[in-house]
Amino acid sequence: MAGGSEANVNESRRVVPLNTWVLISKFKIDYKLLRRPDGTFDRHLAEYLDRKVPANANPVGGVFSFDMIINRGTSLQVRIYRPSFEQEPHQLSITDLEKPVDADIVPVIVFFHGGSFAHSSANSAIYDTLCRRLVGICKAIVVSVSYRLAPENRYPCAYDDGWTALEWVSTRSWLRSKIDSKVHIYLAGDSSGGNIVHNVALRAVDSGIEVLGNILLNPMFGGVERTESERRLDGKYFVTLRDRDWYWRAFLPEGADRDHPACNPFGPYGKSLKGINFPKSLVVVAGLDLIQDWQLSYASGLEKYGHKVKLLFLKQATIGFYLLPNNDHFYTLMDEINSFINSDVNSNSE
Amino acid sequence: MGPSSTSNAGTGKPPPPPRTELDGFLAGAGHKVRSSDLHHVAQRLERLESAMVSSPSHVVSDLTSDTVHYNPADLVSWVDSLLSELTHSYHHPNNSSAPTSSTSSSSRSLPVDLDDLFAIPSAANNWLQPEMPLSQPPQLTVFTTMEEDSGIRLVHALMTCAELVQRGDLHLAGTLVDEMTALLTRINTGCGIGKVAGYFIDALSRRVSGAGSAPASPHETEILYHHFYEASPYLKFAHFTANQAILEAFEGHDCVHVIDFSLMHGLQWPALIQALALRPGGPPILRLTGIGPPSPDGRDTLREIGHRLAELARSVNVRFAFRGVAASGLEDVKPWMLQVSPNEAVAVNSIMQMHKLLGPDPSPIEPVLSWIRGLNPRIVTLVEQEVNHNQTGFLDRFTEALYYYSTVFDSLEAACPVQPDKALADMYLQREICNIVCCEGAARIERHETLAQWRDRLNRSGFRPLPLGSNAFKQASMLLTLFSAEGYSVEENEGCLTLGWHSRPLIAASAWQASPLSAAIAGGDN
Repeated sequence: MAGGSEANVNESRRVVPLNTWVLISKFKIDYKLLRRPDGTFDRHLAEYLDRKVPANANPVGGVFSFDMIINRGTSLQVRIYRPSFEQEPHQLSITDLEKPVDADIVPVIVFFHGGSFAHSSANSAIYDTLCRRLVGICKAIVVSVSYRLAPENRYPCAYDDGWTALEWVSTRSWLRSKIDSKVHIYLAGDSSGGNIVHNVALRAVDSGIEVLGNILLNPMFGGVERTESERRLDGKYFVTLRDRDWYWRAFLPEGADRDHPACNPFGPYGKSLKGINFPKSLVVVAGLDLIQDWQLSYASGLEKYGHKVKLLFLKQATIGFYLLPNNDHFYTLMDEINSFINSDVNSNSE
Repeated sequence: MGPSSTSNAGTGKPPPPPRTELDGFLAGAGHKVRSSDLHHVAQRLERLESAMVSSPSHVVSDLTSDTVHYNPADLVSWVDSLLSELTHSYHHPNNSSAPTSSTSSSSRSLPVDLDDLFAIPSAANNWLQPEMPLSQPPQLTVFTTMEEDSGIRLVHALMTCAELVQRGDLHLAGTLVDEMTALLTRINTGCGIGKVAGYFIDALSRRVSGAGSAPASPHETEILYHHFYEASPYLKFAHFTANQAILEAFEGHDCVHVIDFSLMHGLQWPALIQALALRPGGPPILRLTGIGPPSPDGRDTLREIGHRLAELARSVNVRFAFRGVAASGLEDVKPWMLQVSPNEAVAVNSIMQMHKLLGPDPSPIEPVLSWIRGLNPRIVTLVEQEVNHNQTGFLDRFTEALYYYSTVFDSLEAACPVQPDKALADMYLQREICNIVCCEGAARIERHETLAQWRDRLNRSGFRPLPLGSNAFKQASMLLTLFSAEGYSVEENEGCLTLGWHSRPLIAASAWQASPLSAAIAGGDN
């Protein structure tokens, strides 16, 4: 039976540093306590256990952050991260928070956190840390979105919120790069966040909002069929098929199966992406992630439709490798994201 | 700081002084574990995982629904208590889970037999731990709603004015106050930034002109407090959370004594009296000592409130005695006035009072904390505003207050309470703003400090934390849904609970008890 056997523990302990193992295993147990067999979710306990951090308008490590509600109707909240300004004559005032961007090109990354559609938020400690790192490494502004969570809010709420955030970002005058007075937007996300990236980008096509690139980090996709990687890796590295199935049941419309296009974008009910103006994508796949077959076919699916894809396959990486900067994969990933975004910057400023 | 645990192999030697640091990476992820404890935690997690897999499903679901979690940031005690909880329910399936306390990490009674598994060296762990700055830069949490241009101009002007005040340029500041007053006429002052700005402009105006702010009479304060209580969930949260902790601390005690540092209208106590009445095994004998200002007009308001509470207690068969202690400030209270007797369990309850003791030297806070400790209370419940309004620099203080009260007013507006509650609640807050902005020295009593600061202070004064559990969290969250406004959020913060507006905590509740005397003598270190 999958999960919990000594052999699996040995396996996963071999490939990640001890503190990473502790962190991901802790999440695994927390999450198990939250998922009820009847499909409901213990949201109070989830909120209690989630380690959150407040925003901080005082720069820490060259980055400051602040929260905003961008849609009163749904109480949609985002956390905005910016590099600190060079000269700070006095206390950052509210006017400084939205000080117009001062460079020719400043990438704005709209970030969707992971958590299989049910967990976490922009103020979860692990995602706050990740977003701060993205600012530093990519010299970007990051807008992290606290989209509505399943099972209380099923498909398409998360996508709707992602779309709202994209629209909001695209219309902020203070986020416009000087070179062309437009907001230079990239979408990024891990796990369910990666799935949201694809779906929001899809919605943006023909909308007039330009997305310059998609970054999908261990994106959450699936299908009815059981793939080879799912069978081979079930329960081996922190994740079981059973929990994957639970989350899809919690997110997808009642009665839908995993071939629903939200789960399986290039499956039997998938939409053709031929001939449309879809952004270039960076797809990051961890070699020890049981859903890699779905992620790899996503990447090749995009290619088949003639869209630019850079695939980063990290053979010995498990899920969550990017949560702590204590391994090579993390730094490889950051370099790749940086090139993906800033190669545009360099080519534009030539 | 942190659990007093070391992985001691029991060699008979005294444990080495606790020099191991927290794992920096995990700390960044909100989990506090010493590097030297990682191995132990890993073993426990694995053990917990396999226990959950092999237990019958009803045991696991009981575990999830009945277990009360405490302080999830402290990984060692969290995993230990969960493991013993699961093992306990497994072996005693008919026993409803006894509450396990993870305040001490002494539950390591289970044999550790998985050492072999972890003999395999872990993957290379060469990466340097992130630098943990010795002192974090001050937290400035800004939560804004959508921007409004006129509001931003006003805020900009306010900040400039505050800066002028800090520099001592009162003349120029006064000119700016006039300009801002004019600006105000052009925006909506009924709500949003206009309303808050209006209060701050008024406060600055008083400071600049030297008019200062007249302290409210105790009677006025009580009325405003009552309306603030009605118009928002903050005080209800404070009372509820404190009562829950007090109830738990009083378990097993037959004589209990609650000392309320500010009785007001005694709004907190009916719920506790009723909860004690329903206690399995019957209620204890309850004494309540209520501290409050002396009544000017010959009435004894304290006694009147005491009477009402006594009637309530009588109606639910709780033996009850009340005593009022009239004092203009906590610094005037002497422990003998409280007449604590040795056989009773004491709870000291302070809702938004302690910060008043943080005035200039000789500041009364240390003596007061010292006599509280001397009472050897079962529990001290502390609720305070979650913000630092005690900074010496005027501009810093002003900025913090502007952000803080903007958020508070935002939340009040959204709650849409009825008049006159709302107007008087606003006035309650306005008085705080005025005190923070206009007053200095002994007159400035609204010296709010953050949970982190209080933790530090209480740890140094010989107290240790009593974590508030997930049951309190859950009930507080559910209480909030009774309010029409969505947006209030309860958060767990290392054993304490905060209530805030969206992601900005505004009020923090914590519980404490006296550390063993030896720890206090040693300077309260760890």
